[in-house]
Amino acid sequence: MKRIILLLSLIVLVLSTVCHALPEPQAKVEEMVNSVLSVMRDSQMTLDQKKSQISGRVQQFLNIDSMSRRTLGQYWDGASVEQREHFARLFIKILEATYLNRIEDYSDGDVKYQKQRVKDDKAIIDTVIVANELEIPVQYLMIYTDGSLQVFDLVIEGVSLVRNYRSSYGEIIRRDGYDGLFALMEEKVRDMSEPASGSSVQ
Amino acid sequence: MFQRFAIIVLLLALAGVAPVSAAFAGDDAIVVIAAYTPTDSVDQPVVVAASAPQDDFAAGFDDDPAPGDASEVLIADPLEPLNRGVFWVNDKLYFYLFKPVARGYRAVLPHPVRVSVGNVFSNLGAPVRIGNSLLQFKIEDLGAEVYRFFINTTFGVGGLFDPAAKFGGVKPRQEDFGQTLGYYHLDHGCYLVLPIVGPSSLRDATGSFVDSFADPLRYTNLETEEYFAIKMVDMTNRLSLDRDTYEGIVRDSLDPYLFIRAAYAQRRQAQVGKTYNMNLLEGPLFDGDRLDPFNLFGQN
Repeated sequence: MKRIILLLSLIVLVLSTVCHALPEPQAKVEEMVNSVLSVMRDSQMTLDQKKSQISGRVQQFLNIDSMSRRTLGQYWDGASVEQREHFARLFIKILEATYLNRIEDYSDGDVKYQKQRVKDDKAIIDTVIVANELEIPVQYLMIYTDGSLQVFDLVIEGVSLVRNYRSSYGEIIRRDGYDGLFALMEEKVRDMSEPASGSSVQ
Repeated sequence: MFQRFAIIVLLLALAGVAPVSAAFAGDDAIVVIAAYTPTDSVDQPVVVAASAPQDDFAAGFDDDPAPGDASEVLIADPLEPLNRGVFWVNDKLYFYLFKPVARGYRAVLPHPVRVSVGNVFSNLGAPVRIGNSLLQFKIEDLGAEVYRFFINTTFGVGGLFDPAAKFGGVKPRQEDFGQTLGYYHLDHGCYLVLPIVGPSSLRDATGSFVDSFADPLRYTNLETEEYFAIKMVDMTNRLSLDRDTYEGIVRDSLDPYLFIRAAYAQRRQAQVGKTYNMNLLEGPLFDGDRLDPFNLFGQN
């Protein structure tokens, strides 16, 4: 009983602080997620319309520069300026398509914000996506550059997206060089932009 | 009349049990609430980490590649050609056999039934999770799993339902012998792609083999074929509840083999989490202060 009272009072405490302005990093993530969800849940728009709306909205929240740098890792240093730009251009398209395909699956879910931690210019925001008995922990890693906080990595169930990309892309560069990687990426971008044909319906 | 009364009493009892078990099982909600301390200052980011340990935060960024660092290898894969072969076969099996079967299965059985079937299989896995929590001295996980097993086997009608999570708020934990080995600093050895099963490693495959001895189905009078048939039902059921995860990976990644290998390595690393502290002079043994009897029933 004591514990219930404690729990309730904690909840009240938390709720009462929510009335104040939310701390910035979490508010930023909420803004991004909400703007995406509002488009996804709009029944007036077709899927293609939704996708084009979302891609414009999401980009401002992502730090593409930091993401490409981290994804190439040691191969960023060895790349020429043109190669870096080429990579960033392709990478953003792949990221976008991946994100759009995923968000489709979880648009009926709810996002719970759990906690945020801030240190120097970086922040981690812990969220959980709740959809159909499933709870998927998603962490947003953010960095503060040029006066704004932007996401540079997503950690889903302990799996960092950027780290996964780095590991695979590094292997491809070792095997086929930068040009091999770019060729593969271009092919993928072409495949992904085509209307989904092979994917099954839920 | 009496029946309704009995149900209400039962529900109340479950709800009452929950907070007690939460203390024991370390229910996430409490931890989360305690850790969430919003600040009023919006202008500049400040440290808000309340109860979260600082090293946890740093760990979130420890993937920053140092310049000139050796290329990132998450898991050794000397058998890559062989693994890729098995991966290719699994891919075909998935798209041309297992997935169509799962789709038919999904068409026949409604969602709640499939969730219940999944619950039963999950409940049968309790001995594995209980044993491995014990082997790692993870008292919280042990408490959660024992609680779940008893509540779900009795009130949950042999595991068909999950009142432990629904009313008690105690979620299942992920424990297996591969994790236990990882906890004691045993590395993967090398990456393996197993036929049908999929991504694994020398360590984790060994772990699954050891875990199979704690599978209750092993000690029934089932014929070998029946045993495997039940395992296939488990797999089909799980696939029928899945949201095309594999299809998404194949569609989005440049090389699905590499992507799944990296994801597997990262996921297992996250599951193993904190490892057994080998240095007796430095810090607490095992799962930290959770072995402290005074701290067992009330955190903080």
